[in-house]
Amino acid sequence: MRKHWLSVVLASSVAAFGLAACGSGSGGGGTSTGLQIWEGYTGAEGKAFKHLLAEWNAAHPTEKVTSQFVNNDYSLPKLLTAIKGGSQPDIAYVYGSWAPNVAQLSQVVNLTSVVQQPGVNWSDFWVGERDVATVKGKVIGMPALVDNLAVVYNKTLFAQAGLQPPSPNWTWSQFVSDAQKLTNPAKKQFGTAYVTPGSEDTVWHWEALLWEAGGSILNSTNTKAAFDSPAGLESLKTLQTMAVTDKSMYLDQSDSEYANLFNSGKIGMLVTGPWDLSGFPSVKYGVQIMPSFPGTTAGHQTISGPDNWVIFNNGSAHVAAAEKFLIWLTSTKQSTYFSLATGDLPIRSSVQDSPGFTQKMDQALPGVDTFISNLANVKQARPQLATYPKISTILGTMIVSVLLGKSQPQAALSSAAQQVNQVLASGANS
Amino acid sequence: MLGSLASIAAWRPQRRQALGGRTRLRAGDQLTAWAFVTPAVVVIGLFGLAPIVWTAVLSFQNNNLFTQGSPFVGLRNYRKMVHDPVVAQAIEHTIVYTALFVPGTMLVGLGLAVAMNRKIRGMSFYRTAAFATIAISTISEAIVFLWLFDPNYGVVNYAFHLLHIPQQQFVNSPSEALFVIVVMTIWGWTGFAVVIYLAALQGIPQVLTEAAAIDGAGRWATFRRVTLPLLSPASLLLMVYLTINALQLFDEVYQTTRGGPLNSTYVLVYYLYLQAFGGQGNFDFGYASAIAYFLFVIVIVFTAIQFRIGRRFVHYRS
Repeated sequence: MRKHWLSVVLASSVAAFGLAACGSGSGGGGTSTGLQIWEGYTGAEGKAFKHLLAEWNAAHPTEKVTSQFVNNDYSLPKLLTAIKGGSQPDIAYVYGSWAPNVAQLSQVVNLTSVVQQPGVNWSDFWVGERDVATVKGKVIGMPALVDNLAVVYNKTLFAQAGLQPPSPNWTWSQFVSDAQKLTNPAKKQFGTAYVTPGSEDTVWHWEALLWEAGGSILNSTNTKAAFDSPAGLESLKTLQTMAVTDKSMYLDQSDSEYANLFNSGKIGMLVTGPWDLSGFPSVKYGVQIMPSFPGTTAGHQTISGPDNWVIFNNGSAHVAAAEKFLIWLTSTKQSTYFSLATGDLPIRSSVQDSPGFTQKMDQALPGVDTFISNLANVKQARPQLATYPKISTILGTMIVSVLLGKSQPQAALSSAAQQVNQVLASGANS
Repeated sequence: MLGSLASIAAWRPQRRQALGGRTRLRAGDQLTAWAFVTPAVVVIGLFGLAPIVWTAVLSFQNNNLFTQGSPFVGLRNYRKMVHDPVVAQAIEHTIVYTALFVPGTMLVGLGLAVAMNRKIRGMSFYRTAAFATIAISTISEAIVFLWLFDPNYGVVNYAFHLLHIPQQQFVNSPSEALFVIVVMTIWGWTGFAVVIYLAALQGIPQVLTEAAAIDGAGRWATFRRVTLPLLSPASLLLMVYLTINALQLFDEVYQTTRGGPLNSTYVLVYYLYLQAFGGQGNFDFGYASAIAYFLFVIVIVFTAIQFRIGRRFVHYRS
């Protein structure tokens, strides 16, 4: 409010279309096929990526890659603006959840035949990654990152409450009862936490529960909502019990405080991903896979949010060089180096299988081995639809309204399903 | 910001100078005059007027970053706005926020300015402290207030506990979150109001208050009948300026609640930002521009009303 946001918004839109009018069309420059890549790596990831680039550039003097830092959160608007102005990079890091939207762009290079080339070994990438890189049968990216959700728990708090640490075959009812026993209002201590900004971060945590209860988000043809089901009800009721009845769940509107609180020993269990582990130096923690819902065949599942490298067309020479670079970057050798240097989960199963890999990873970042083996529990992906962001907004409201005690699970499910069906019926851009 | 302040401050209703003495400029002078104003005209035109016109054009187009062309669709974006329930919510929140924030900031600012308008030791420290609120970045302010109003670990709930007031959910409650933002922004803008009121208070000649005292007026009567009317130009300035800013609330929402919980802190600028740049991923500049234009009209109407009311109450010393 202190700045005139309206004018900032307007001015930047003018800038965007001013660029469009100029249309320089110079992608990577001159006669040599120098490539430009947009990435958002910082810290250890930034260092490791720089190292890999230097290695590539030394071996390929005519196809040098220069990188430009672009915060991943803002890369999509920046990319779209660049494309309108004809100055798109050759390669960009793009969130997996944007894949269906990006796939609509004519400048995005179709990699379907590229990933079938010998030496790529496409099936070596996790199924969750391949699903997210593929939109309507067309491969639009190469996997850049993979993660998943598991339960990180505070060993000290479990011992204090006289509880056994979670076992690999635990259930959600155990989770709920542990959370209750770990809660101590006098000490402001909570059994667990849930992020409630209503964003996709709120939604995908619940989607894992829905799948574990045997449900699906949409029907098999992605034409109707399927979450208004007994599985949907069970998953929402489980969360409701902790948030509303037991008050054993800390609701984090900010989507960041939960990590500080866990690291301060105020929260017993968190459902979160490997990226948070380095933020817990002050507590003794363990990691366990997600609990299951007994009585279903769905078993222990999790959800993954993989990201992609996407190639944009700047002429055939650039495209060929970019494809060569990505195949090299995502190969077993390079991705093993990157995982060991950063603690990021391996993007290929052959990386996980290489001797000594898991031990080395776990030494650097205790507990990450569970996240690595949990990759095998990624059995489904979110619907690959351009309308998914809208569906996610509806689901976010549904979950938050139940957690805040503003609606009952069944009513929230019915209302959300009706809205999602409307979005699906009206199509992409309306 | 300074430009708009100066123009509001210089505004004098029905006090036009007599234009009798005006002489015709020669052609050479005309040219020189234009040479002086051109840089300013170009900058204002490029960053002020051009976006205003361009936004009007965009608001009649189906214009998003994904599709190639941008066909004109007439009033479709405006019709969509009328039928969008979230826009109605955002308007309501924007108006409630403005109605609380503007008088709140003015009252707190006036109270502090009056308290500080005296010569005692260390006053410059207090004045600096009050003005510091405007110098602190919104991000730091947001982080501090999120912690103060944290339902479980916050100081405010702790104080409530000591006073036997029931614990509140604050930013986790759809009915309370907007008020947390009101409190936070009043705090943030108090320094600004204090500075304006202090300057105005120090411009009041002592002879007037002394004369009132000699005529037997008490302190309250002097304040009410002499000081307050003489502060009215400053009050009008603050009211107009704070209202325009309140209608454009964005940073604080973006940094704290992001419109939540359950849409309870959606305000117009935040919603149009989501339409254009984020959230649902549609990058719908056409629709966002239509909302922006609607807000533009609201701002103009509010400002016009305030000036019209101001004409009756504002007292200018000659």
